[in-house]
Amino acid sequence: MPPDPQRLLRTTYAFGAAGFAALLLLMIASFWLAQRTQSTTENVLKARAQRTVLVRLLSTVQDAETGQRGYLLTGEDRYLKPYETAISDIEPRLRDVRAAFKENPEEGPAIEKIDETIDQKLAELAKTISAFNAGKSSEALEIVKSDHGKDLMDQIRVLIGEAFQHVDKKLSQGVEQQRIDAAAARQFSLLAGTFILLTALGAIATIVRYTRQLVSARNELQELNTGLENRVAERTADLKRANEEIQRFAYIVSHDLRAPLVNVMGYTSELEASLETLQALTNDPQFHVLATAEAAKAAVTTDLPESIGFIRTSTQKMDGLIKAILKLSREGQRVLAPERINLADFFDSVADSVQHRVSSAGGEIRIVKPLASIEGDRLALEQIFGNLVDNALKYRAKDRPPVIKISQVSNRWGAVDIEVEDNGRGIGEEDRERVFDLFRRAGPQDQQGEGIGLAHVRTLVRRLGGEITMSSQLGRGTTFRVTLPSKLNIRG
Amino acid sequence: MTNSGDAVRIVMIEDDAGHARLIERNIRRAGVNNEIIPFTTGTDALAYVFGSDGSGEVSSKRHLLVLLDLNLPDMTGVGILEKIKANEHTRRIPVVVLTTTDDEREIKRCYDLGANVYITKPVDYDNFSNAIRQLGLFFSVIQVPETQ
Repeated sequence: MPPDPQRLLRTTYAFGAAGFAALLLLMIASFWLAQRTQSTTENVLKARAQRTVLVRLLSTVQDAETGQRGYLLTGEDRYLKPYETAISDIEPRLRDVRAAFKENPEEGPAIEKIDETIDQKLAELAKTISAFNAGKSSEALEIVKSDHGKDLMDQIRVLIGEAFQHVDKKLSQGVEQQRIDAAAARQFSLLAGTFILLTALGAIATIVRYTRQLVSARNELQELNTGLENRVAERTADLKRANEEIQRFAYIVSHDLRAPLVNVMGYTSELEASLETLQALTNDPQFHVLATAEAAKAAVTTDLPESIGFIRTSTQKMDGLIKAILKLSREGQRVLAPERINLADFFDSVADSVQHRVSSAGGEIRIVKPLASIEGDRLALEQIFGNLVDNALKYRAKDRPPVIKISQVSNRWGAVDIEVEDNGRGIGEEDRERVFDLFRRAGPQDQQGEGIGLAHVRTLVRRLGGEITMSSQLGRGTTFRVTLPSKLNIRG
Repeated sequence: MTNSGDAVRIVMIEDDAGHARLIERNIRRAGVNNEIIPFTTGTDALAYVFGSDGSGEVSSKRHLLVLLDLNLPDMTGVGILEKIKANEHTRRIPVVVLTTTDDEREIKRCYDLGANVYITKPVDYDNFSNAIRQLGLFFSVIQVPETQ
């Protein structure tokens, strides 16, 4: 299965988003729990403070009572002193208690009750003290003995004890809440942590799987690539073999064709030689005596030489054609010798070699510089451009001096395009492809040639790994474009 | 040469009868009257040159000159050249390669193997007969090794 990068991205994003959400949730929960813990702690602290103020209130009331008892028993002022201190402390202590319980209105009635009872107790204490001071110690004792003060004190103890119980209950509740919150925080952290870990593992697993797929896809691609290269190599070898076969075929055929041609030519010459004897015979005056003398003489002096002449010219032509095929097939077998060639210098020398023909026709060759420098086979290039320039001069228009322009039209990566442009007679539409064929020529057959020039040129250009194309306007001129590789690739 | 006790015989290995006849005519026209023994196949020619036992000893007592065409129906002329030049008894026999091939590599190969002369059969008959006549001249000056 080919890896789908979209899917990978989606999966990875999903895992990332899930992990992020879990982290966010964990943060919110932690914050919330911290808030809760803080408020619980505050409650606990408050409860402790409440306990403290209650204890202090009780002990102050007890101090007041103790002072009263001591004073009543001894009548000494030093016992009255703690009483008075306690009495003056009661009010602030009560204020503290009210303040401490301000946020617990449910305790308000209980506090009021404590307040009232303490007021009554204080009143009872004050009453006994004032009676004692007035010298009525027995009356004071009576009051004490009535147990009214003791009852009040017991009531105070009970009331404060109840308040204590409430506060203690709150305190233990707070502690319990703290414990629960801590446990919840621990569990939640554990859960969220596990979840984040799982999402991370999921993301990693996805990436690992995707990477594996990528690697296997790459390996597959590499194998395919190798296979393709092998196939290309095979095909190239096939083509090379076919090409070699064609060349060998051309070579053998043309070679074997020459053998009978040697005979045709040789015996034609022998015939000619024999003919001379016959001609001498017909010139003999005695020969004219014969009745067939005239006809025989005509045959020997006119018909036979004419026939022999045709045989000879045809054989020569055939020999020329066979030589051309041999040349082409040999050109294909020649080993190319790559060398660095500065095209500017190269075309200058091409132009030099035809200079006298150009100037005698009143024309010119223009070489447009700059020109690139390529790696190629000098001999092949000389034959290619020599042929093209030769054609341009050969097939020039009769009514104007030849102008040949050689220029580089582009310099693509790895290839160079050279144009050879002339103002010659041009090539008709119907002949554009034919001119590259072997033994085919275009236009008026007023020039010597066998029709192998352009076929040869095309073979050479292709041999160098290039291509040749042509555009032409009949009567205006022809432009050949030769595309050459900037570096010769020798394919054996 | 013809007046020597054991005249030089020309072994002509040429499968094309027309060529053989043309060659013979021109040799004769050049004034060479040595015996010409024609062969149309390489097998027959080798049998003659190397004898029935194939050792080549028969030729050690003969004065031969071989005219060799490279394109033969049963074997290549190069193969024959190689055999002649590799054999102890026949390697001194002058071999004139006379063929239609003008391929440079082929020519070089023949000379490397020990060919004495390489002549291309031109389609142009005048050149051809000229070459043969020159060959006749060559025959008249060539020193065939004395029999041992």
